[in-house]
Amino acid sequence: MSVEPGIPTVDNESIEDRLYTVKYEDPGDSHLDVTIPGICAEKCVTTDCVKVCPADVWREGEDGVPNIAYENCLECGSCRWACPHGNVEWEYPDTGAGVTYKNG
Amino acid sequence: MTETAPETDTDGSTDRIDLTDRDTATPDYDDAFDAVVVGAGLAGSTAALTMADEGLDVLLVERGRYPGAKNVFGGVLYTPTLRQLVDVDAAPLERYIAERRFGMLSDEDETAVSISPGEWHDPPHNDSYTVLRGEFDEWLAEQAVEAGATLVTRTTVTGLLREGDRVVGIETDRPDGTIRAPYVVLAEGGNSLVSEGADLKEKDRRENVAVGVKEVLEFPEREHAIEDRFRLTGDAGVSYHYFGEGAVGDAFGGGFIYTNGDTVSVGLAYRLSDAATSQPDPEGTLNAFKTHPAVAPLLRGARTVEYTAKTIPEGGADEIPELVHDGAVIVGDAAGLVLNNGLHLEGTNMAVESGYHAANAVASAAQRGRTDADALAAYREDLESSFVVENLERYEWLIERVQADRELLFEELPRAVADAGSEYFRMDRAPKDQHASTAKRELLRAVGGYTGAAKLAVRYRKLLS
Repeated sequence: MSVEPGIPTVDNESIEDRLYTVKYEDPGDSHLDVTIPGICAEKCVTTDCVKVCPADVWREGEDGVPNIAYENCLECGSCRWACPHGNVEWEYPDTGAGVTYKNG
Repeated sequence: MTETAPETDTDGSTDRIDLTDRDTATPDYDDAFDAVVVGAGLAGSTAALTMADEGLDVLLVERGRYPGAKNVFGGVLYTPTLRQLVDVDAAPLERYIAERRFGMLSDEDETAVSISPGEWHDPPHNDSYTVLRGEFDEWLAEQAVEAGATLVTRTTVTGLLREGDRVVGIETDRPDGTIRAPYVVLAEGGNSLVSEGADLKEKDRRENVAVGVKEVLEFPEREHAIEDRFRLTGDAGVSYHYFGEGAVGDAFGGGFIYTNGDTVSVGLAYRLSDAATSQPDPEGTLNAFKTHPAVAPLLRGARTVEYTAKTIPEGGADEIPELVHDGAVIVGDAAGLVLNNGLHLEGTNMAVESGYHAANAVASAAQRGRTDADALAAYREDLESSFVVENLERYEWLIERVQADRELLFEELPRAVADAGSEYFRMDRAPKDQHASTAKRELLRAVGGYTGAAKLAVRYRKLLS
């Protein structure tokens, strides 16, 4: 039924466009990291950080260690809980940097 | 401010601070304040406001560019306690909630219940309003400042100062940013790095934490789209909740639509453990929810104004950390004070309530010149006898059961109810009697016959008690 005519189209914007709606100030350094890269490369097979991230921050890397697009971060903290190895380093961006919501 | 005898002893039980002998002219902030509040959200600003009203010198520290800049919620602020503290009617409110609707979604059907009591149109509107946190939190922090609190923004608390087990202040990312104070109120939100870093609480399991995503949407070139689609007049608004696989797949959670003044908030939340295993990522789940046949007509032609994400502590009463420590208390989301049992989705009222009780406990301890945990215990006691912990405990069993039965409740039952509904109302030339029996059969099959239905009724009987 969901492909029947009569159901209006809702245009979902791309993650890039969605992230453009949020004001962002680059703190310069990443506030996110992995504690021990070897755990990602050797122990992790599920990449839960990639699966739970709502902002496409965590991306699978070629060497098994995720690439971190920290400038996309919405500061929800999901990755911190999701990692079953407790291998996510998370700090608040300092002096007001990072994401700024207008509506929230 | 100088500390007077007796000096701090090791267990902190007889700490005395002379509040009358305060030196506010010191160039640094050490002991210039009686209390520091970490985070200017609902809990933090309520605590700051209440302590300031009690005559304490309060420093409210916010890491965002302004209060609210880092804050996200679904959309409804519940104001019964806030109304006692501030002039809610002067606040930047969006709409009052005039209708609550609960929709069960299978992949292509909806079965819904809607309630819109007439009295919700009358002030104080059941103390339920949509707000936008950027505006509202800034306003609430201003009320705290007007009451005498000092607000600093763009300042991240990076750790707590300790003397033995006692918390004696905060460390910040500012140059010389160490601030000593007798009391620290931790209102840092669910991603509570400061409390965890100081071993005041443990990190929760991902099974107990939900990830939420939300979009604020506008309807360009469609005047009155919100009023027309949601059947609204004046400041009336709606709160629509959605469950079932059409909302969040097989995950434990749900979706929502709330109407703001000129925008709507649409989003969903479900457990991180589901996001990591069975359910697509949050953004993909949101896309699917927005295009559900029962949801899409409400949102067509919309443009995204803002995309946000947050995590929600949903561990319930069992996961509330130790709330009271020597020199510190934990409030709001940082204390895990969120109720999500499916029917009730509450956090804002609990944040305010906890900030209020914590502030009163601090004020009372300050009057007695004590900072030890025992002196602050009134906070835990007041919260435990308030609706906050009462409600969390009351629904603990329900949340556990719903999780255990989620395939039945979120997938099989919504489908069966929709099928039974379409059968019951089917227009053909068969007698209604026949439709009714088929409909009944559909429902019974989903719940496992009469025995299954009886068992289900027993399992959920407390809902009505």
